[in-house]
Amino acid sequence: MTELAHILASLTVGLPLLAAALTWLARTPRQADVIGRTAAVGTAAPALTLATLALTHGGVPLVDGSWLLIDRASGVLLAVTGVIGLSSALVSPAYLRVAERSWLSATASHSWYYSALFAFWAALMAVPVSGNLAVTWLLIEATTAASALLVSFSGRREALEAGWKYLILTTLGLSVALFGIIVIGVAQAGSGHHGLTALDWHALVSAASSMPRTVVISGFVLLIVGLAAKIGWAPVHNWLPDAHSEAPAPVSALLSAVLLPTVLLIAWRVNDALAPGVGRGMAATLFIGFGLASILVAIPFLWKRMPWKRLLAYSSLEHMGIIAVGLGFASPLAIAGVIVHVSGHAVAKSLGFYASLPKRGSDATVEVAGGNGANAVAKGISLVALAGLPPSPLFVSELLIVVGGFAAGYTVADLLTVIALALGFLGLMHAFLEDVVADEPGGLAGREHSSGMAFSGSTS
Amino acid sequence: MSSVIVTVILGLGLALTLVRRRSVGIALITAQSLTLSIGAFTLTGGRSAAFLVASIVLAFKTVALPLLLRALQRRTPEPRLVPAARGPLSRLAAASALALLAAAAIPPISHTGGYIEHAAIALVLIGITVVATRRPALHQLLGLIVAENGCSLLAVAVPGGLAYLIELGALFDLVLIVTVAAAFVQQIHLVLGTGNTELLRGLRD
Repeated sequence: MTELAHILASLTVGLPLLAAALTWLARTPRQADVIGRTAAVGTAAPALTLATLALTHGGVPLVDGSWLLIDRASGVLLAVTGVIGLSSALVSPAYLRVAERSWLSATASHSWYYSALFAFWAALMAVPVSGNLAVTWLLIEATTAASALLVSFSGRREALEAGWKYLILTTLGLSVALFGIIVIGVAQAGSGHHGLTALDWHALVSAASSMPRTVVISGFVLLIVGLAAKIGWAPVHNWLPDAHSEAPAPVSALLSAVLLPTVLLIAWRVNDALAPGVGRGMAATLFIGFGLASILVAIPFLWKRMPWKRLLAYSSLEHMGIIAVGLGFASPLAIAGVIVHVSGHAVAKSLGFYASLPKRGSDATVEVAGGNGANAVAKGISLVALAGLPPSPLFVSELLIVVGGFAAGYTVADLLTVIALALGFLGLMHAFLEDVVADEPGGLAGREHSSGMAFSGSTS
Repeated sequence: MSSVIVTVILGLGLALTLVRRRSVGIALITAQSLTLSIGAFTLTGGRSAAFLVASIVLAFKTVALPLLLRALQRRTPEPRLVPAARGPLSRLAAASALALLAAAAIPPISHTGGYIEHAAIALVLIGITVVATRRPALHQLLGLIVAENGCSLLAVAVPGGLAYLIELGALFDLVLIVTVAAAFVQQIHLVLGTGNTELLRGLRD
């Protein structure tokens, strides 16, 4: 079983890298589309098989080595990454067909887009199965390099602004996280653990309680604060609404539904490994603090009328906050809620982003997605699910997190979470009723793009 | 690593907050990376062969990044100096205050390297200040490199800092990020005619 898992993990990361190289060599846009679609199916298959094995292996990790750690948490993220990555690759031709311009010529831009997309996907697949903190950091940094150019793919001024902000702010955040990793490395060396293996997840778990407390706290706080910039937690979230709204829709889906929870998984692994040294209370306070701040910062924007993708971006801020609060509560119910939330949010959010893709009309113009019945329905389903209206899985997950919080004794934080969730719910339902059901002039259907770009032959 | 070398590295980082010319900024970063690399080589005697590899990696950074930055500077000529958002003294004061605050807040990490540790965290914060207070895209990129040099200083100067494989990976990632950022700087110049990021402020809620 372990050998099979190793082979599948190699394929899961290796195949998208191979696809990145192959699509780079494509000579025509059509060739790039065909290679992209085929490679996406080929990549998703081993990823989903590995996810199934990890999820059905019981409480023990499927693989627990120096380079690879495949446990149930990896399984959830691999499944989400496989499904959303596949969907994004499959809908990409629809985006590229109508993308008016990019930094490059039409032929080059197709090849380039797929290469960057598959490189990004490969890095996203590798993060949840990496068995070492420092290697995981390298992989997260690689996701920034691969995705920053995709964010500004359209080449427009606003997209450039979003991409540049994303690149600089997340890289700075990751520098702070790297500093935290080095601090932990120094503390490990002081306890007699040297070299790369000192930063393996299981080595950290076994040594955390023997590290000097002040040092491990410094390292932990630096790591979590640094990762917060990449997760998009408030108050270091400035890049998030811009990047998610300006990126091509398939990339926005990957950013919101996969990248943010994947980095969140690493923050959780750090918490899990170092909490014995840091103290459960302090670790929980940091997570709950970031979580509540993110939900509260997002709420005013959920009430505000704004372009569709920007609304979804602020909803991502809210949902990453909810997940952080759940991880902070850390009771079995809350963790179960986090798992349901990661999966439900991924499906609902990606559906929302794909619904913003325009549909080519018969006269070669491009219809705004909201003007298309199926897309308007998809937007409605996405909004209702994200708001957490029953029977949305996000209703179940939020309920589990809240009940889990009470069970863990975080009454005040839990009450604040409930009030914030209610306000967020009302904000999104307000957007649903005003802009999707009533379809008011200037509503979401007509406000596809943050820059107000007309949808005649061009798209977000 | 001697305290003189560490002071020079810190001083070069602070000097970056003062300069406006991109060529001078690149020269300061080159000098800082070179000093860091010399400092690492002075420590190789008492360390393992793996540490020697880490030092060679740092030396490579001293050569590769300035070459990349020089090429970028040549490709993106600025007709005139980008107006500064704040005066040089206020930038220096902000960077120094943040650096001192961080040095006071971070407890000793190891038994040996108190000054090095404080200098390293100070460099990370100086890098963040440069990014926050400078308008030219290339200067913001230099701020990133200062922050990374802060991490490298801690990694090489304090025993047990970072394995050479990770140093190698971090260098690869940094070169990748700088290359992507260079592509951005070029495109920003193409669209705006300048590298002034103050003009990239269209996205507001």
